[in-house]
Amino acid sequence: MEGRPEDDSELFTRAQRGDTAAYEEIVRSYQQVAFRTAYMITGSAAEAEDAAQDGFMKAYRALDRFRPGAPPRPWLLRIVANEARNRVRSTQRRHGLELRLADGFRPGDAAPSPEAVSVAAEDTRRLLEVVNALGEEDRLVITSRYFLELSGDETAAALGIPEGTVKSRLSRALARLRTKLEEAARG
Amino acid sequence: MAELEQQLTSLGAELNWPPTPNLAPVVRSRITTPVVLRTPWYQSRWAVAAAALVIASAALVAYQPSREAIASWVNVHVFFQKVHVLPTPSPQPPGPLGKRLGLGGRTTLADAQKQVTWQITVPSYLGQPDEVYLQLPPAGPSKGEVTLVYSVRPGIPITGETGVTVLVTEARGAVDKNFFGKMLGPDTTVEPVTVAGHQGYWIAGAPHEFFFTDVDGNFRNETMRLATNTLLLDLGGTVVRIEGNLTKAQALQIAAS
Repeated sequence: MEGRPEDDSELFTRAQRGDTAAYEEIVRSYQQVAFRTAYMITGSAAEAEDAAQDGFMKAYRALDRFRPGAPPRPWLLRIVANEARNRVRSTQRRHGLELRLADGFRPGDAAPSPEAVSVAAEDTRRLLEVVNALGEEDRLVITSRYFLELSGDETAAALGIPEGTVKSRLSRALARLRTKLEEAARG
Repeated sequence: MAELEQQLTSLGAELNWPPTPNLAPVVRSRITTPVVLRTPWYQSRWAVAAAALVIASAALVAYQPSREAIASWVNVHVFFQKVHVLPTPSPQPPGPLGKRLGLGGRTTLADAQKQVTWQITVPSYLGQPDEVYLQLPPAGPSKGEVTLVYSVRPGIPITGETGVTVLVTEARGAVDKNFFGKMLGPDTTVEPVTVAGHQGYWIAGAPHEFFFTDVDGNFRNETMRLATNTLLLDLGGTVVRIEGNLTKAQALQIAAS
């Protein structure tokens, strides 16, 4: 999905010199994680598309402030996520984000029996249901870290919070998730 | 990794995300398309015509034209309004700098950064500011306005209008929808400049009035004083003004640092 660091470094250097083809390549490399991050914040595919596009435009105009050799993902995600948050603020509207399982979802390819597959599927559905029912702060940090697989600094950039706060927020979110899963299991 | 965390990671792979749009060609096209909105006013026939209207309107209504209406005629992001006579600023109130110039409350750089959504730019050429002010709504723009004050710096004279050497003011302005502008008298010159890829304007000569529309479409202007030589830059939607008794070379050096 994303380029190797050495490729990125060269692409950023070329883009900083005004090579628009290099910047197009950078956008191609990061558009998925940028779009999904914006979608996580806005809850709307259309708003996420606009936010990601405008975020990449702003990043282009701010390229001179990008330090060559620095990891580009946190830098880009911070700009795109800010754009997404600004859109939510300016429209005073946030679409409720509800993550869904992919069509044709069948978990546990390695499960030993059809019954085990069925149990795994039910567990997965319940887990997603409980995540979707969490408060926004918990859901955002869990989505960032596990569903988007962002690192700590990338999550901090995407959520606009310090990295230390990510750790404490994630720890609290997981604790609440465990409690709610136990409640759901007890019925 | 704990079992729950493993389950969450596995769940992530099973999620149904909306298809990612192919943004790369669109972004490249936007980058390479000339931005008409940034055409300096004197290079646009429409703007020149509108500027003539502005002057006529200003004469008719005693230099109180509706700037928002004018902006919509011109439809340019950066808009310079030429008038024969500038409005007289209200007298500055007595008291400390922040109150005198209407900069808002005094704060620290770190605190100001916590309260605004953009990354505050501190020019390394000037170093750490001597004072920092934050103007919040309703007195300031909807996203706030930060002013960095540099009292004395070698080689830069103190400005009569402000009593300090350099003011760096930053606020959010919307790039796509809104505008910022300057009301210029006949003795003020304006020149487009580029600083590290960012377009801007160097406004020099006689003092001028500054105005702009913030991200929420609210019209803002300086009523406390007229501005001196100013380098105006749009850093990705953040309007940065570097103001002082500066030469153009000094201003560009500050902006590039």
